[in-house]
Amino acid sequence: MRVGDIAVGRSGDKGDILDLSLVAVDEKSFERLERFMTAERAEQALGLAMPARVTRYVVPGLLALKFVIPGALPGGVHASLHAGMHWQKSAIHILLDLDMDE
Amino acid sequence: MKGEAPVFTIGCGAGFAGDRTDAAARLAASGVVDALSLECLAERTLIAALAARGQTPQAGADPRLRRRLTPLLPHVHSKGCRIISNLGAANPRAAAAQVAQLASALDCPPLKIAAIVGDDVLDRAERVQWDQPVTGRLIGAHAYIGSDAIATAVDQGADVVITGRAADSALFAGPLIPYLDGSDDALAMALTVGHLLECSGQVTGGNFEQPGGGGLDARSLANLGFPLAHLARNGTAEITLLDDDPGIVDRLTCTVQLLYEVHDPSRYITPDGVVDFTETRLEETGPRRVRVSGTKLRGKPKQLKVIGFAEEAGFIADVEIGYAGTGAQERALRAADVLRHRLADWPQDDIRIDIVGLNSILGGASMAANAAAPELRVHVSARCPDGETAQIIEDEVYALTLSGPGGGGSLRSERRRNIETVSGLIDRDLVPVGIEWEDRA
Repeated sequence: MRVGDIAVGRSGDKGDILDLSLVAVDEKSFERLERFMTAERAEQALGLAMPARVTRYVVPGLLALKFVIPGALPGGVHASLHAGMHWQKSAIHILLDLDMDE
Repeated sequence: MKGEAPVFTIGCGAGFAGDRTDAAARLAASGVVDALSLECLAERTLIAALAARGQTPQAGADPRLRRRLTPLLPHVHSKGCRIISNLGAANPRAAAAQVAQLASALDCPPLKIAAIVGDDVLDRAERVQWDQPVTGRLIGAHAYIGSDAIATAVDQGADVVITGRAADSALFAGPLIPYLDGSDDALAMALTVGHLLECSGQVTGGNFEQPGGGGLDARSLANLGFPLAHLARNGTAEITLLDDDPGIVDRLTCTVQLLYEVHDPSRYITPDGVVDFTETRLEETGPRRVRVSGTKLRGKPKQLKVIGFAEEAGFIADVEIGYAGTGAQERALRAADVLRHRLADWPQDDIRIDIVGLNSILGGASMAANAAAPELRVHVSARCPDGETAQIIEDEVYALTLSGPGGGGSLRSERRRNIETVSGLIDRDLVPVGIEWEDRA
């Protein structure tokens, strides 16, 4: 099972900060997601794509987790060396594609 | 809404500078919304506006103003739909004058048009506490201003309010505030509604896939409706869509948008107040209807956020070459390796070589390809100190057509100015915000 089977997600940014959100489909999924999707696990996965030091926020009332990564986007949107601009809008798929069966 | 009668309905007419115009036109023509707010300014678009103003002092307003407002202005009086937008970009005064000219050309009844000025703080940039040292040449610095002046303009009868770098949420909170009960809770809710609506289709099923995959079909996405909110005096709101517009509004679409780009959900900082979303309640009250309540205000920030743009010398050269046919993947990978040999001396942090179709977006986190791709593109971006050096990068990629793996073609390249986004804080009293009324005469 992927994270994306029990949650929806979205990437955003402000300046050089990457900002990722995951929202679980129900309470049981949220509990599972909260246990699985630790800051360390996110850091490990995201670190393959960018410099990643992750702060995690847990919002039980909204069944949601947030991952905030300062310095992930050096120089901001315009200064990126990726092909085209706004590559970070796809970054949430790094988390959504993580396999939860282990 | 449990006896909370709606007192005001606001719609979102745009979520970024290049957003579609058809959904906004349907909202304005519907007669359902009392105001339409259009968020048209981001880091990238403000840079373009600053560049235009640098060439011509009268420029700097959003160049899409005419296309965007032409279908809306005729409804301002006939349907009672005020327009609030930051498409003033780097020049709200010039934008307000353009709105007046456009209204006249469209034979609209006289409109009361307000320009909100004062966000440009470039001349006070030395008073900004920047998050990091600014090394490049500062080409613009704008404070994120709040909803006060917008609310005042609406209260004084403005039909159209044009701002520069107002905070996105303020474009929505501004027209709402005169109609709410004045409590902190109501302000918190106005900012919440603003945040939910400010990215247009992102709360109505755009940029959204269901858990397990699958989203709206192509026809629905092609005609996606933009959101609207009915608010009670205490700020409690219902988010929904026009009845005939396709889209989804449910707990999931609203929650991912509520948390979008807020960083710490207990302290979302806007110029009007620090907002705590941890107690916000999102309840589905019907198909495509979500009731929003419970957001708390946690004080008002003493300083305003400033966004600045620092131009470093030189360019970013962004070049691609394509490979197709049998063995395309092997040839593309080999071409990338040729470039790594050729450009081995380039400073590592200033160059990126990857393959569009394999790993250009997520780099090492991209999934392994299950099958060799029929077509791929080798991509190089490099920071270059000047135009002559940018030419070297472009030429190296083009040289693959003669001295690289077989069949390289379909080349493209662009040069971007090397502009870094910087942010900082400035004291409020250094940012006097004013209202200038545009006389239509």
